[in-house]
Amino acid sequence: MVEQPAQDAAVKRRRERSLAWEFRHLIPMVAIAISAIAIWELIFRSGVWGFLFPGPTQVARALVDFWNSTRLVRAIVATLRRLAVGFLISLVLGALLAFLMVRFTTFGKGIQPYILGLQTFPSIAWVPLSLIWFGFSDALRTVPPVYLQAARNMGSDGMDLILRVTVPAALPHLISAAKVGWSFAWRSLIGAEIIFATVGLGFLLNASASVPDIAGVMGVMLVILVIGIVVDQLAFTKTQEWASRRRGLRPRR
Amino acid sequence: MKGADLKLVMLGKRFGGNAGQTEALRDVNLEIRGGEFVTIVGPSGCGKSTLLSLVAGLEEPTTGWVAMDGHRVHGPGADRIVVFQDAALFPWLDVTGNVEFGLRVAGVPRKDRQQRVLEHLEMVQLEKFAHARVHELSGGMKQRVALARALVLRPRVLLMDEPFAALDVQIREEMQSVVQDLWVRSGTTTLFVTHDVREAAVLGDRIVVLSHRPGTVSAILENGARRPRTLNDAGVVEAIRRSNEILKAEVQWSSNQPKMQL
Repeated sequence: MVEQPAQDAAVKRRRERSLAWEFRHLIPMVAIAISAIAIWELIFRSGVWGFLFPGPTQVARALVDFWNSTRLVRAIVATLRRLAVGFLISLVLGALLAFLMVRFTTFGKGIQPYILGLQTFPSIAWVPLSLIWFGFSDALRTVPPVYLQAARNMGSDGMDLILRVTVPAALPHLISAAKVGWSFAWRSLIGAEIIFATVGLGFLLNASASVPDIAGVMGVMLVILVIGIVVDQLAFTKTQEWASRRRGLRPRR
Repeated sequence: MKGADLKLVMLGKRFGGNAGQTEALRDVNLEIRGGEFVTIVGPSGCGKSTLLSLVAGLEEPTTGWVAMDGHRVHGPGADRIVVFQDAALFPWLDVTGNVEFGLRVAGVPRKDRQQRVLEHLEMVQLEKFAHARVHELSGGMKQRVALARALVLRPRVLLMDEPFAALDVQIREEMQSVVQDLWVRSGTTTLFVTHDVREAAVLGDRIVVLSHRPGTVSAILENGARRPRTLNDAGVVEAIRRSNEILKAEVQWSSNQPKMQL
């Protein structure tokens, strides 16, 4: 093949432009963030709440202090690690249980009340797990029966059928279920950290509140918000769009 | 491989629990020679699709049995492949992925698989669309892929469940000739279900007319016309006339019956 630098450059430019194009939907989001900070600053300067209501600059300073003392980084790492481990465990357990519930209907019927019970279980940490279980088995039930018939007809059965047909057919719904599970996991993790942990974002939030360092509290809240948005947009919304586009469905937003 | 002989013996199927049972088929007896092309025509709700599901082994009969080359059929198998009305292609796979699905399940090695897939895509003239995604195909193309996906497994019986019902008239006629070509080339026993009497008369060497629910065999007509047939052949015209006559009598009879269900 002959090298074609001019064409390569054109392709590269197009790719760069398309990357900017990819993020065009963020423009309104950024605009809203800027206006919110401006309004915040105005309220702060009007002085209605006094020292209980720090302005954006104070919060930014608190964040920089956190960052310089590495407290923020350690908190983020600790929280995200907990989230990743917990989420992985619940994904695996949830998927396994969902398969069993759909594959063996009697088992599914038998265990359904317990999962319902689990949702009212007082420990907040159980909620994400039961939600994923629920979400996954519901997602697996959305698979059109004709796909399963066609696949069984071509000799697929048992585990082969699940892996070749059920999972890929339910993939967009499975991603939705994981998304719901993640947002619950994130909420309850921060909640649990506020109460129990000695390191992590929830702990940092609690520690700042007991000083009291209101600017610090608001700074950590912002960090929690931003991580939530980033994970939701990158990990879930993007993969959902990819899975939908592959089968010619309009991506859901 | 030659198409298999099929024998349907006192075949019956009821759906539902003890409360509201629906009888879809009753006492269907049918003998089909290996390599024969038989069409099954009947009003909607006469159990045509159920009949195919029973032969495919996707449903178990309530009474009677299906035998292939003298052996009773249990459960689904890749020797009896169904082409569904809406093609039932897998949207998460491209055209090649769909056609090679059954070969992968059977563990056919990659090289063999590629060659057989290509061969069958050429047979349905879709080799240029090997990597197209399902949603990019027209209705007729989807059914071609479904045909390739079925025939690549060299089934001994091909079961077609109103495959062209959702297509435009022109595409439907084109697909009818595609099916006949493929049938000649593969020599597989073909059971083709349709509610379109004209389609049944053009395609079938024999035409089985089913009655309204529960489906029973009203008549079996021999097609007087030789292949390739057109709608204008005297034998086809006669087959259409007689099928319509039987179906009409059937509908009148059943509309005079008191309603059993509800």
